[in-house]
Amino acid sequence: MATHSAPLPRDQAKALNGWLRARAKNLRRPLAGAVGLGALGGLLLVGQCWLLARIVDAVMFHVEHLAGLWPLLGGLLGVFVLRALAGFGTDALAFEAAAQAKTSLRASLHEKLAALGPRFIAGQRSGELAALFSTGLDKLDPYYAAYLPQTALAAFLPVAILAVVLPTDWVSFLIMLLSAPLIPIFMIVIGKGTASLNQLQWRKLAQLSAHLFDVIEGLTTLKLFNVSRVQARIVGRMAEEYRHAVMEVLRVAFLSALVLEFLATISIAMVAVYIGFRLYYGEMAFLPGFFVLLLAPEFYRPLRNMGTQYHAKMDAVAAAEQIVAFLETPIPVAQTGTMALPTPRLGEVRLEGVGFAYEPAHPTLEGINLSLARGEMLALVGPSGGGKTTLARLLLGLEAPSQGRIMVDGQDLREIDPASWRPRVAWMPQRPTLFPVSIAENIRLARPEASDEEVRAAARAAHADGFIATLSQRYETRLDEAGQGLSGGQLRRIALARAILKNADLLVLDEPDASLDEESADNIRAAIAALRQEKAVLIIAHRLESVRAADRIAVIEQGRVVEYGPPAALLAQGSAYRAALAAYEGAA
Amino acid sequence: MRDLRRLLSLLGAGWGWALAGVLLSAGVILANVALLALSGWFIAAMALAGHGGPMIEYFTPAAAIRGLAVLRSVGRYGERLVTHDATFRQLSALRVWFYERLEPLAPARLQGQRSGDLLSRMRADIDSLETFYLRVLVPSLAALLCVPLLVVFLARFSFAAAAVMLAGLLLAGLALPLLTQRLGRAPGTALAAARGDQAAALSALLRGYDELLLDGALPRQTRMCLEAGSTALAAQRRGARIAAAGQEGAGLVANLTLWAVLLVLLAAGPALSGPDFAMLGLFVLAGFEAVAALPAAYQALGEGLAAARRIFEIVDLPPALAEPARPALAPARFDLRLSQLRMGYGDGPAVLRDLSLSVPEGACLGITGASGAGKTSLFNVLLRFWDYQSGRVEIGGQELRRLDGETVRGLCTVVAQRTHLFNTSIRENLLIARADATETQLHDALRDAALLDEVLAMPRGLETLVGEAGQRLSGGQARRLSMARAFLKDAPILLLDEPTEGLDAQSETAVLGAMARLIKGRTCLLISHRPQALRLATQRLAL
Repeated sequence: MATHSAPLPRDQAKALNGWLRARAKNLRRPLAGAVGLGALGGLLLVGQCWLLARIVDAVMFHVEHLAGLWPLLGGLLGVFVLRALAGFGTDALAFEAAAQAKTSLRASLHEKLAALGPRFIAGQRSGELAALFSTGLDKLDPYYAAYLPQTALAAFLPVAILAVVLPTDWVSFLIMLLSAPLIPIFMIVIGKGTASLNQLQWRKLAQLSAHLFDVIEGLTTLKLFNVSRVQARIVGRMAEEYRHAVMEVLRVAFLSALVLEFLATISIAMVAVYIGFRLYYGEMAFLPGFFVLLLAPEFYRPLRNMGTQYHAKMDAVAAAEQIVAFLETPIPVAQTGTMALPTPRLGEVRLEGVGFAYEPAHPTLEGINLSLARGEMLALVGPSGGGKTTLARLLLGLEAPSQGRIMVDGQDLREIDPASWRPRVAWMPQRPTLFPVSIAENIRLARPEASDEEVRAAARAAHADGFIATLSQRYETRLDEAGQGLSGGQLRRIALARAILKNADLLVLDEPDASLDEESADNIRAAIAALRQEKAVLIIAHRLESVRAADRIAVIEQGRVVEYGPPAALLAQGSAYRAALAAYEGAA
Repeated sequence: MRDLRRLLSLLGAGWGWALAGVLLSAGVILANVALLALSGWFIAAMALAGHGGPMIEYFTPAAAIRGLAVLRSVGRYGERLVTHDATFRQLSALRVWFYERLEPLAPARLQGQRSGDLLSRMRADIDSLETFYLRVLVPSLAALLCVPLLVVFLARFSFAAAAVMLAGLLLAGLALPLLTQRLGRAPGTALAAARGDQAAALSALLRGYDELLLDGALPRQTRMCLEAGSTALAAQRRGARIAAAGQEGAGLVANLTLWAVLLVLLAAGPALSGPDFAMLGLFVLAGFEAVAALPAAYQALGEGLAAARRIFEIVDLPPALAEPARPALAPARFDLRLSQLRMGYGDGPAVLRDLSLSVPEGACLGITGASGAGKTSLFNVLLRFWDYQSGRVEIGGQELRRLDGETVRGLCTVVAQRTHLFNTSIRENLLIARADATETQLHDALRDAALLDEVLAMPRGLETLVGEAGQRLSGGQARRLSMARAFLKDAPILLLDEPTEGLDAQSETAVLGAMARLIKGRTCLLISHRPQALRLATQRLAL
């Protein structure tokens, strides 16, 4: 439909246009090629008109017959073919310009994404972001593939034609020269008038057009109140209102097209009539007259297409808005640490008065003091939403504490280069991500160079080897996006194998035995207990059997450690831990 | 073909306008052809006269040229207005049709389709049906009107030339675009596949960002995304080349047709010299405008039919349950009794097995149970959204199956964890519960729901817009707004589905206070896990 994207405020559109244009600097070569071939096509068109005029002239005034016209006809045929080739070349090169622009932008987007870090990603709707990286970029196509080359040609072709017309017939030249600038002037005048009207109407239009789907989404609610059938009338009424509102916009919007067409067409008619009379009075020969008549529509064509190009540009500008907004997202205060780790193997991690808040007014964690050394297993338990996962993220270096500090063998984690800390930690999150590649590649995530034997050993340790062996493709089985066909417990065991294969010093396992049957859960717990021999293990759990083997348990509620100690001591105290355990066992 | 016929019958609304649009479109094309051809003839005739040829009466053609120029521009404006107006008329009819077909299917038949994905697909499909007339019918019908007229006109001068022209038009308007489309299918499929890979890689990157970062695999996954992007681009390139070749090919066909027509006319000898020769040359070139829009129309035809098929598939679903032929009157008592109720979805396993319960009028039954135990299914049965396989359900002694669905729903009010708020004002959202509510009643309902003060404190009060899906309200406010709806509806039976879940402590207290008032004097089923909420129940049941 003729309703394009919502118009942006003027200065914003201008800034975005400038941004798009700046990207074109790297596209000089394909763009110049496209414009060059387009210009060549234009010159061929002039030649075509000339040959055609010659043929008609020869037939009418020199009574030439077919035999004498072959050279002209042959030339015409050649020009036709060359023009088609030039046109194809223009399109192909214009595509390359857009392709290069998209490729380099896609790289910038990914670079930015990597720089923005975990905090940013958490706040995003991944569907929208993914769309921005793929189809969002395609929306820029019209700008580089159509708007830029076509506007350049719109500046070149009419001038070239004028240059040909001037020596042929100066009065036609004057008509063209004087009428041409009127077209953009009128467009601007009308465009300015419609822009504000457009913007006013746009919000209403969007609201009306969204109504049907709002109603469909709320159908159940409407049915509950027995008003769903009445809504049919409202849907109809809204659509009618939509029609009236849109037509009001379109009546004016189409006016600019009308003026464009009108000026161009009436100018051609004037040229035709004027030439006709000069021919009648014998003031000029037929050949130049007919030649100019053939050229006249070609002179106005690029100007008439400016409306289309303008819309192509505005659509691209609107699409660029999101891209620019993403690229200009301020990068959160980066982890600036540059120090290497103080020890070759991790000794002890110590949380000293650690607090954290996503929003200053609502702290997620406050005054946490905990320690975890190699060969130990620390368990975090407590109600969901209490801050356990946030604590794990702090330890992993995915977030930095807003208060207190995390000491790694006497060195503040903040000062340690993330690139040296990350290989030391392995993480199995509550909902591990499995990638649409093979099981083996999923397990190898952190160590792509690991041998098949190592992969299998890790899978055995995670009690995943058994079910993997029953799959038809075994370790080469591809996991599609959701890991379909495998149960939640199986997917978790693959993720556990991944964490084990990484062979890190600190293992953070978020509910490692969730959604497993009793036997598998027991096996996993035994495997984890074995791991702690040479590693520091942090376990987050809801199932209390999971943490019986822990050296110490921290009960976390509402961002604070409410109890901390060995399991036996906690059980003895009549504590929150005990209450939770009782509640759990009572409910089971 | 059947889909096409059905689609056309749907687009029948305002056919007079639609027809006028097509006629105007054809008229504009013909006016343009006439303008160029007449200009050629005029110049040639004037030149001949100037060179001692026959004198001509030049006022009429000169005026006609100017007249055609005006007709063409103004006609084009009129065509755009009329075709768009016709499109929007069809849009109204189509939307009402779609809604009326969809309404009986909700929510049972649309449950699986609830995911935003399908809803947005539906949205895109309806959009593409709405532009079917504009993008498909107008250009093809206009071409169908113009082509015979053009060919017949040319045949008056030369049969051979007319035959050449017809061949050229068919080639440029039919054969070439169809060929282009067929060739474009392979890159199109490749592009769709590449896009799928790209989406999967991107989604994995975004979902697994933290893990990739920790495991040092972020660059690798990024590279995968970029490679998938390049693959998609390569497919796009192949498609774009084919499309460009098709477009240039059509232009070349038009030029070659001109060339062949000139040849035919020249071969016919001197009979056709003079102004007619100049006129026919321009006529042929301009005539190809009649088929210029056809390639895009075929493209849109394919998309439109696919969209129509998907839409028809949805609206042709049978409703999930049959209403009684002769419904019983609404009961006068409102106690609930279920005995041996068994219910499952479609062919799936039974979700509710031999459930029996009874709630006296005015009592409140608290229901707990693990997720998936069938609590929500129980409500689906009570609201006549889904049928049950066996057992009995009685309201006030009346078997549920004998009651009309609307009667049952008139007796019940639901407050659920997720209630849809419409993207309009608070007032309109309330009026859904009772269309004729007075200002006082609205205020009372808001006060009972502990929301009045907050609403009145908003700058626009009851006229405050709640935003898409109510996102401008807090979770607690949205919950209390749906509670206010319940007060307004004032039905004897109350179904509460996790009414305080997911609220912070402060909101929960406010909602609980409103709930206590709401429950008073009504028969109530309360699904919840929150002990504070369950305290309001007079009986308990674990599912």
